[in-house]
Amino acid sequence: MSKKSVFMIAVLFFFTAYSVNATVTPTGSKAPAMPDNVKAIIEKSCIGCHNTDSKNDKAKEALDMKTMESLSKQKMIHALKEIGETLEENEMPPAKFLEKYPDKKLTDAEKKILLDWASSEAKSLMK
Amino acid sequence: MRRILIILLAIAAIAFVVLQFFQPEKNSSNDTANLIFKHEQIPADVEAIITNACLDCHSNNTKSVWYDRISPVSWMISKHVVEGKKELNFSEWGTFDDYDKIGTLEDIRQEVEQAKMPLKSYVMMHPEAKLSEEQRKILLAWIDKKSGELLKATE
Repeated sequence: MSKKSVFMIAVLFFFTAYSVNATVTPTGSKAPAMPDNVKAIIEKSCIGCHNTDSKNDKAKEALDMKTMESLSKQKMIHALKEIGETLEENEMPPAKFLEKYPDKKLTDAEKKILLDWASSEAKSLMK
Repeated sequence: MRRILIILLAIAAIAFVVLQFFQPEKNSSNDTANLIFKHEQIPADVEAIITNACLDCHSNNTKSVWYDRISPVSWMISKHVVEGKKELNFSEWGTFDDYDKIGTLEDIRQEVEQAKMPLKSYVMMHPEAKLSEEQRKILLAWIDKKSGELLKATE
């Protein structure tokens, strides 16, 4: 199997795993609501490294999108704030990663969608 | 041989003196309008901890010390202060909305919990900044209490 196929299968796996997680929301859930367009971007450019099963320890320690819903409200607000700041500074996805996978680069529109989402989710948690 | 040594020393001395004419901007301001203590009810022990262990790098006012006007030390200090203020500035607290405050408190919590802050190099020169386990616990407890309050206030 070519590297590309393995990678595609891995992506599909995470896509499915994440979708299943997203539909099973625990009671009293604080899971950030994720509209389809946001989910698509995150699946394309983020969750590959930012999930519990990732081999990238630094990435999953900084942000694990799979366990985000189990964060306390304060930690969730903080995580959303960090996401916003990181995106504003164009720090993510990392440049080195994009050299290998240029299609994962966030367009200005995608960046704006994520920023708006992070900001509105945090605000709604504050209500 | 001795002559070369003297010349080298002379050059070093002159270079050192010239270096003193190049100083970074001093971080000092009497404007405390947005300082955290003016906006939050903070218990005395927490205020003391923040003042002694944090404000030199994380506010608009760094306490003066005799060596902070000597290059290149002044530049090392300035670098810490500039980076510190960029990450966290208690002098700007009054401008934060509740959302920013909660996020900031969580940032502080992580650094204090992991003992990454205050910086070891800073504590070496400022023993009053050293945080005991007890002091870290006090600070973390206040952070939890404060961010809980902020959340409740918005419900």
